[in-house]
Amino acid sequence: MTTPSDTVDPSGRRGFFVRIIQTVHAAIGGTVAFVLGGAILAPSFAKREPSWLSAGRLDLLREDEPLAVTLRVSRQDGYAQVVDRKVVYLVRSGQDVRALESTCTHLGCRTSYDREGKRIVCPCHGGVFGLDGRVLSGPPPAPLTALETRIDGDQILVQV
Amino acid sequence: MLTQLLNWIDSRTGYRGLLRHALDEPLPKGTGWAFTTGSVLTLLIGVQFATGVGLTMYYVPAPALAYDSVRFIMDELPLGWLLRGLHFWGASFIVIAAGVHLMRVFLMGSYKAPREVNWITGVVLFLLILAFSLSGYLLPWDQKAYWATIVTINVSASAPVVGEYMANILRGGSELGALTLGRWYSAHVFLLPAVLVIFIVAHIALMRKHGISGPMTPQPGPPTAFFPWHVMKDTVMMAAVFALLVTLAVLFPAHLDEIANPADAGYIPRPEWYFLSLFQLLKYFPGPLEPVATLVIPGLIVGALFALPFLDRGAERHPWRGSRRVVTLAMLALIGGIGHLTVLGLLDMPARYDPNDWGPQSIAGRQLATGPDNTCQTCHVVGGPAAPLAITRITKDEEWLLFHMGDPVAIAPGARPEDQPAGRPRLFRLQAQAVVSYLRRARAGADDVEVSPEDLTAALTFSNMCIACHTIAGEGGDTGPNLSLVGIRRDAASLRSVISDPSSEYPDTLMPAYGERMTEEQMSAMVNYLAKRR
Repeated sequence: MTTPSDTVDPSGRRGFFVRIIQTVHAAIGGTVAFVLGGAILAPSFAKREPSWLSAGRLDLLREDEPLAVTLRVSRQDGYAQVVDRKVVYLVRSGQDVRALESTCTHLGCRTSYDREGKRIVCPCHGGVFGLDGRVLSGPPPAPLTALETRIDGDQILVQV
Repeated sequence: MLTQLLNWIDSRTGYRGLLRHALDEPLPKGTGWAFTTGSVLTLLIGVQFATGVGLTMYYVPAPALAYDSVRFIMDELPLGWLLRGLHFWGASFIVIAAGVHLMRVFLMGSYKAPREVNWITGVVLFLLILAFSLSGYLLPWDQKAYWATIVTINVSASAPVVGEYMANILRGGSELGALTLGRWYSAHVFLLPAVLVIFIVAHIALMRKHGISGPMTPQPGPPTAFFPWHVMKDTVMMAAVFALLVTLAVLFPAHLDEIANPADAGYIPRPEWYFLSLFQLLKYFPGPLEPVATLVIPGLIVGALFALPFLDRGAERHPWRGSRRVVTLAMLALIGGIGHLTVLGLLDMPARYDPNDWGPQSIAGRQLATGPDNTCQTCHVVGGPAAPLAITRITKDEEWLLFHMGDPVAIAPGARPEDQPAGRPRLFRLQAQAVVSYLRRARAGADDVEVSPEDLTAALTFSNMCIACHTIAGEGGDTGPNLSLVGIRRDAASLRSVISDPSSEYPDTLMPAYGERMTEEQMSAMVNYLAKRR
């Protein structure tokens, strides 16, 4: 219940009342908007807790030979619990292991490893990536996303 | 610049004229605080619309999912508990505010000619509000919602001739279930709000058409403008009621029972307080007389409300002058009767077992599902073939869970080929039942409890040997007596003597002697635990 400022005489009792009315109604509306807006917007900005998943044994990896593994990432989807499948390449160089997401950074197609060319290729628009994830040719705007890895005993752990 | 823009909008829409028409309504001199009840009601309905929109974004109208989505709103959604709290308390506030508004109009005789139709739309609005309460009550799909709705529908089924048809329409079939939830949700969220808005618009338009009735004895003097003189009073009342609503929603968050369990015949349903008087009335009209309480009396009351402006037609508005005394007495008798029945209903509330009282079955189940060397962790581990139990929301029904625990590899009934025999059961039926009980409690968000090693031994023993015949904390059989409060009746020594050799006290008992069947450790844990149940 607001009124345009041009119909209000800001002096005297009337103006005082109008200001109190506006303030109270703004406070009530603000409270409802805070609760409603908070509940609507909060999930949009929620961050997912990263977790470490075991991706395989180190001694099964050969030097510079990417191995595609499927990780089952469990996450909360609103009120439900879902398991996402995520394919990552594990690339070993010495005692170090890189994990690259297999999703092409161009338009999200699933890439695959080209054994003969020793490179990762995207079937959709001909994007080509090196074993370090860098773009060698084609449209992809960015290298394949690298995931944090760490070695625990003989297990390779990947952060997702 | 802004003025120019507003001038342009005004020239195209004429909004200033509308606004002035709305705000400059002339009110009779002496229109006081009593005339703020409608504004408070309008505010509360606005809050229900806003919070309802928020809840609808997360709520899922399907059994089981409904419960989990409300649990999500309560426990995980930031501010979700407050959103639901405002909607929950707002419902009660609206019923009270509507009652107060109705009483104001009644006592001041504002329904008299030419405002009969204002009154009739108001009574319709009151009934719509009750329909909102009723339909919204089922939606969380917890025990309270489920069983209260069973009662509501059985009440409508008691109507002669058409009762069973009405009940089937309300349920969407012969059983309360997914179809019921769907239609009650649709009614609560689409149908009723649409009808409500239509009647509110009509109610307010009629109020403007005839003007506010004003004080009972007209006062000489020029009328005052609605804005800001009366709006100021409205605003003060709205601020007070809204502050109370927020305070209650913060201090007493809305409750959510365990998930609806149609198999739990032990649950004693109770309606929300504003239907308690009707519920209580049922007790005085048993059997074939039931329709008197469910149909005749409420029907007469609603009929009398609708007919009121045509029964009480004199010009006198004062509630205690002339023939008005009769209708005022009748109304006071009605309010007194409703109040009396409500109090009786409140006093007659059954003792509910505390959802945070972990009975032995849930404690045993927790040990089996999460304790050391549990069989669940064969698969339910981080990175394993199934998600860890701690983050698993149980979305399967209890029959599925019991089946799964007996034969974990077959994750769906019939999944295992017939020529491939099932392995040895990982959990026996009673153990699986205990795990289900634990999962149900965890799903209901019960606080975890610390249990001493001795009580754990007692819980495991009870859920293995005693539970088929005895109940504690709502779980167990009823062949033997309920032991929830056995500690009041017996001390540890007398418990030991009965358990060891029941026939020494009850020659005809079916209960076997457990003196030989339990180890000394189990026996002493058991009697100490039972002695504590008081």
